[in-house]
Amino acid sequence: MMHCRDRQPHIRNARVAGVLALVLLLLTLAGCASTPQLADTTERELPRRALLEDTPFHGQRDYQCGPASLAMVLNDGGVDVDVDTLISQVFLPGREGSVQPEMLGTVRRHGRIPFSIDGNLDALLTEIDAGHPVVVMQNLSLPAWPVWHYAVAIGFDLDEETMILHSGMEPERVESVKRFDATWARSDRWAFVALPPGEMPATGDGKAALDAIADFERVQGAKAALPAWEAFTERYPETAMGHFALGNTRHATGDSQGAIDAFEQAVAQEPDLAVAWLNLGLLHRELGEPDEARKALQRAVALPGAWQEQARQVLHDLKAGG
Amino acid sequence: MMKKICRYLSPLLIAALVLGSLPVAAAPASPGSGLVTTQDALNVERTQGDRERIHEILARDDVQEQLVAQGVDPAEVEARVAALSDAEAAQMADQLEQLPAGASVVGALFAVFVILLVTDILGLTNVFPFTR
Repeated sequence: MMHCRDRQPHIRNARVAGVLALVLLLLTLAGCASTPQLADTTERELPRRALLEDTPFHGQRDYQCGPASLAMVLNDGGVDVDVDTLISQVFLPGREGSVQPEMLGTVRRHGRIPFSIDGNLDALLTEIDAGHPVVVMQNLSLPAWPVWHYAVAIGFDLDEETMILHSGMEPERVESVKRFDATWARSDRWAFVALPPGEMPATGDGKAALDAIADFERVQGAKAALPAWEAFTERYPETAMGHFALGNTRHATGDSQGAIDAFEQAVAQEPDLAVAWLNLGLLHRELGEPDEARKALQRAVALPGAWQEQARQVLHDLKAGG
Repeated sequence: MMKKICRYLSPLLIAALVLGSLPVAAAPASPGSGLVTTQDALNVERTQGDRERIHEILARDDVQEQLVAQGVDPAEVEARVAALSDAEAAQMADQLEQLPAGASVVGALFAVFVILLVTDILGLTNVFPFTR
């Protein structure tokens, strides 16, 4: 390459060098190279260092960081599954990689709930401190030439400002927080924990967790999801939808009295939750308690919204039926 | 001959179709038979329109086809799609090509190599292990 010289390449080289210099200058000026800071509360509550030493490591083959990362968190949670099985379940040969929705779906298939966590270092480190290894998506390269990569964050050291990850072929790889955060930020800081039903993530306001459990229940059924809803309502007792969901799941598993209790909790927390009044009424009717059913349905009818019409109809049928 | 057969067959077919569709038609008319599901309640809470819901439901067939086209074993496809939430299925159907696929490969040109080398050294990227 180097021996065939003429004028043109020189000019082109100069241009490349110029572009490079400009890029460098811009990057430096943008000042995006500072180490990200944690919130004061996180800083106070977290230990200076943590490492989930027991998280097993699987080295990735070829492009299969997705299946390898899944195997690590699933094995850590007690699911006995090997990388080869996961490759056929999550790897996309046409893309030579694995996409995010299927990463979450595959966790569900193995009876674990994928909870997406908030995209910030505070949430990430808090989950690790709570003993949950976190699957993170990174773009190791620049946005224009992406190198997408899944890894499992298992530790940190606040004094050294480092993260510890099972990544690629390297177990317990140490990365500076600055570099890690720069690569993580390019996936919009996408991350999730895979937990058995009954265990809740350490972070989040409950909204995402509610959806995560509902999606899990659709795939794995009421019986599998029951401990998750119990844990959710214990953790977020003020979230009416959690009690509502628990009521439905108890009803589906044959616990009618438990379901009534849960629906009553739901309307106690949020008296305007028409759908909970409606289900409470429907369930009382099913149990042959028309007076209680009528009382609950009247509350549902009084609330404008999507369930008003249905509640009115049921109440009408109930009166007609005596 | 054909006419005769048709004359007898059509009423039978019509009757069969009508009877077959009765449970579907009857389902929404008797709302008292079952409780409102959590999924339905959440969908209403998110003020999700019917159109979106239908789109999400149809999306699953789309995704199945796309996965087969991407080289996934057809025996696996159904279980893979079943594990997705409605929103995830819709996302897959709409933008599978644009979704980032975690893989970690660099198919970069020389100029890109140099830029990435520099950004690696600056600690902005993490492509080459030897820069750490």
